[in-house]
Amino acid sequence: MERLWLSALGADRPGIVAAVSGVLVDLGCNLEDSTMTTLQGHFCVLLVVAAPEAVGAGDLEAALGEVARRFELVVVVRPLGPAGPGAAGGSPSGDGDEAWTIAVHGADRPGIVRDVTRALAEAGGNVVDLSTHLVGEPQSPVYVMTLWVTMPPGAVGEAAAARVREAAAALDVHCVVHRDEVDVL
Amino acid sequence: MDAWHRTVSVRSVLTLPHPTLLAVATAVGAVDDDARRLAEDLVDTMRASPACVGLAAPQIGVSRRAFVVDVTGHRKAVSCHGTFVLFDPVVEAAEDPVSAREGCMSVPDLTGDVARASKVTVSGLGVDGERRTLVVDAFEARAVLHEMDHLDGLVFLDRVVGTHAVFPRKTYR
Repeated sequence: MERLWLSALGADRPGIVAAVSGVLVDLGCNLEDSTMTTLQGHFCVLLVVAAPEAVGAGDLEAALGEVARRFELVVVVRPLGPAGPGAAGGSPSGDGDEAWTIAVHGADRPGIVRDVTRALAEAGGNVVDLSTHLVGEPQSPVYVMTLWVTMPPGAVGEAAAARVREAAAALDVHCVVHRDEVDVL
Repeated sequence: MDAWHRTVSVRSVLTLPHPTLLAVATAVGAVDDDARRLAEDLVDTMRASPACVGLAAPQIGVSRRAFVVDVTGHRKAVSCHGTFVLFDPVVEAAEDPVSAREGCMSVPDLTGDVARASKVTVSGLGVDGERRTLVVDAFEARAVLHEMDHLDGLVFLDRVVGTHAVFPRKTYR
């Protein structure tokens, strides 16, 4: 099996997921990891697909042509390259790294994502997942960003959290950084 | 004004990123006339929004440690103490965290999944100035802890874990 990544984007309409996944099934592909969401009325699909050896990225993209036309989607399929260095699963996070959540919110202004993630990266942290919402009134928009990150364990992680808080403070946005407490029951 | 008539005072509710919502509120101390007026404003403002089950003083622009809660009639409520205002509240005990989705009048566009204790003992001063201790559970406990967070400059967005715990409030098709 070859792993491919597939992205599809278009105005949100009922039936997009069913149509795309239907083509995958017809070709013997298996939909593995996925993120699908709506962004300002547009449906966005990002998939990792395990495809039979005979089905290359070009084959799958061509097979999705009819669905792409019907739903007016931009579809791209490419081979999934080797994953990043580090732990199993290809994460650049280290083995002992710990999961943290960062909540940032404040008056919208340029540079919030850049400055917070730059501080995180410089301190040895790694973004695993990130979502943003632009909310509030048009004349006073509020930017809400939530990051799920990994940070080195112990004092290094605490120092990284402090760096992130400093970056947010410099932007005059509210920021809470907390270690994810997992209760295994 | 007599016993049968009282001026209803509905205050506007602040929304993010207003700095009062992000500040640690100061203690009320003694329950004086100002504190009692604050309590009335909290109750009136809460009742002006039918879906609202609680309101903290910072949400109406007063950075003091006070909140009102009333979960009467809510389908998720188990314990229910009716309408109560607490000044300078303190959580004495909190256990059995449960995750659930909550919203906030100060964050009108989003909701979030937040784990909060489902059994809480909270104490504080009532509007009569007497110390009250309440044992609350389920939805009433969630409401109390949500309002307590406001007194420390926190909103539910600061309590979520992971990025898939914040949701637009609008209804999807």
